[in-house]
Amino acid sequence: MDARTVVEPAPHIQVESLTVVYEKPKAAGTLIAVSNVNLDIARGTFVTIVGPSGCGKSSLLLSIAGLVKPASGCVRVNGKPVSAPGRDRAVVFQDFALMPWRTVIDNVRFGLELQRPRGLTGGDLTERACRYVELVGLKGFEHYHPHQLSGGMRQRVGIARALAVDPEILLLDEPFGSLDAQTRDEMGSELLAIWERNKKTALFVTHGIDEAIFLADQIVVMARDPGRITKIISVDLPRPRTVETTDSKRFIEYRRQIRECL
Amino acid sequence: MKTAPALIGITSFAVILLVWESAVRFGWINPFFVSEPSAIALSLSRAARSGELWHNVTVSLREFAIGYGLSVVIGVLAGALAGRFRTVEYALDPFLWFLYSAPLIAFYPIFVLWFGLGVPTVIAMTFLLSVTQIATSTLKGIQSVNPGLLRAARSFGATDRDLLWKVVLPATVPMMTAGLRLGIGRALMGVVVGELFGATAGLGYSISYYGALLKTTDMIASLIVVVVLGVLCTQGLTAVEERFDSWRTF
Amino acid sequence: MFNYRTLVSTITVMAFLAVWEFAPRAGIVDATFTSQPTRVVAAGLEIIRTAGFLHDVSVSLSEFALGFTLAIAVGVPLGLVLGRFPVLRYVLDPPIMAIYATPHLALLPIIVVWLGIGMQSKIAVAFVSGVIPILVNAMAGVRGVDGSWIVAARSFSAREWDVFVKVILPASLPSVILGIRLGLSRAVLGVVVAEMYQSQAGVGNEIMRYGSEFRTDYLLFDVLLVSLFGLTATSAVRALEERLWTSGE
Repeated sequence: MDARTVVEPAPHIQVESLTVVYEKPKAAGTLIAVSNVNLDIARGTFVTIVGPSGCGKSSLLLSIAGLVKPASGCVRVNGKPVSAPGRDRAVVFQDFALMPWRTVIDNVRFGLELQRPRGLTGGDLTERACRYVELVGLKGFEHYHPHQLSGGMRQRVGIARALAVDPEILLLDEPFGSLDAQTRDEMGSELLAIWERNKKTALFVTHGIDEAIFLADQIVVMARDPGRITKIISVDLPRPRTVETTDSKRFIEYRRQIRECL
Repeated sequence: MKTAPALIGITSFAVILLVWESAVRFGWINPFFVSEPSAIALSLSRAARSGELWHNVTVSLREFAIGYGLSVVIGVLAGALAGRFRTVEYALDPFLWFLYSAPLIAFYPIFVLWFGLGVPTVIAMTFLLSVTQIATSTLKGIQSVNPGLLRAARSFGATDRDLLWKVVLPATVPMMTAGLRLGIGRALMGVVVGELFGATAGLGYSISYYGALLKTTDMIASLIVVVVLGVLCTQGLTAVEERFDSWRTF
Repeated sequence: MFNYRTLVSTITVMAFLAVWEFAPRAGIVDATFTSQPTRVVAAGLEIIRTAGFLHDVSVSLSEFALGFTLAIAVGVPLGLVLGRFPVLRYVLDPPIMAIYATPHLALLPIIVVWLGIGMQSKIAVAFVSGVIPILVNAMAGVRGVDGSWIVAARSFSAREWDVFVKVILPASLPSVILGIRLGLSRAVLGVVVAEMYQSQAGVGNEIMRYGSEFRTDYLLFDVLLVSLFGLTATSAVRALEERLWTSGE
């Protein structure tokens, strides 16, 4: 047996001393959304970020996405710093951000069109988009327009669009925030089902404590003024998660832990 | 198209024509002032057969096409540039505001000074009247693009060109087509009024000519052609608008 | 308050005025065709002092005032009634829509045939030009009233008249004012153009006269004066609109 030490695989995402600052409107000064945050995220884990409004969770996510430039610090993916969007990351937005003039299938194709993966024809893109439309359970709705769909269905399109570009990392910014409670629960379970199939690294921002626990392998709890991480909780609940999971003792314990921090 | 209102509408039109005709026949109204539908119809068919109608229509339509066409090209371009570059918007703002609110037709004598009586002046008026509407609508359309859409596109790696062609342009279409439709009304007015004042042919000229001769019947006949043209153009563009707007909820 | 927007706008306007003033001096354009800011101002100062000018202005103003007041007096009630009773609207819709689609100034010659070249025809033009937007917007204002408010009022046993006065009227007021603002510029335009077409007096009449005499400076002064009037009047209405919007909703 050779004396090779078992090395921990390098984290998929590394956030180093990240600070994000916004200019307040009408020159009222600056707002520190995220202050000196450090975070490592391992490959294939489902991480939720939970906290009150204004704690910087969305800013943190968008910095990792490359849509927001940090004031200082850096984000690394696979060891390399990122400062702009890339093929390795895809975002699902709270307001769905679907192009209203495009049909479902064209919306799912949208990301692919922009990234122009080499060697694929237009027909290939459509075929791929079709697969993801089916994956999120919208088969038959390919030629509908967003305004003809319910909120839950629209977000499925958003998820399909993000998955279609086959990113390494899935970033979800309060994706179910605009949906009613029941739809939210359903979508959570479905998201997990989809995620189980390819176990991408996922970062999920939410307001909801229960949602944060239910989905996660790891929970990052944040606080505001300034935006910072207060606690990281490893979730040791068996997968696949079911309704019963939410009644388990451990679930309630996690809930208590998070409530304490907030 | 809802049938009930449409039927009532058509019936009411028919009733109005009937009342009109009878009122004149029975001597309730002096035909000098409003003429009668039958006489107007006769005048129209006469004008059509003699080629006078088509001549006037083509002259007016040609002026309209050139003036409106120019205003679309320049209006959309100016509006797009202003929408994209705030500096351009701020620079154009005072001029657009003035052109939109000032009684542009009052500038008519100046145009005559520059272009002489006749077609070029009419085209200039038509252009000026509609270009501000189109530019403003295009500008507003571009500014009203949902920034969330732009952010989503950028998250998938969109370049500036991608943003323009795949997000901004499609999103601007509704407001832009609304502006194009409103611009038609103003352009048509520019043509007709321009011809009223100083032309030798065209529908506006024809209205003015018969008006000067106090030939009410022929005058109203020309006026009706103008109305029909206006309604046709507006409805036509509304149909185009709706075709492109199928994805809107309202 | 100085910000980028005001800065850029001011600079472009000044640049425009500068070019306008100095291009003729540099011989690039002929001042007879374009005039110059200074000459327009000088012409204006001269015009103001003539008695004829005062007469023309009062003629135009009274034509506008009478015609537009009539437009409001007729357009608002009629629009409100038509908005309230859909059946009436269906009956009158086609002629209204036809008039709406017609360039209102195309009716000039026929109005002149009916009423001659005196003040009556101009008042009529101001009326016709102004009444259409007022009517259409008043109608739209009524139709846009939130049905739930009416239901709420009825639940307190309000009678039809009360519903009209206490719910519909206040709720449609912003639209009515908007219609008035839109009609205002159309009415101003109508009066000026009608005077340009056929008249014995008025600012429009002056404009055509100066035009035919190639007195560009005087012509431009009159045109700018009319523009200024229209702009001030519409700004006043807009200010009123804003007061209503903020206090209402």
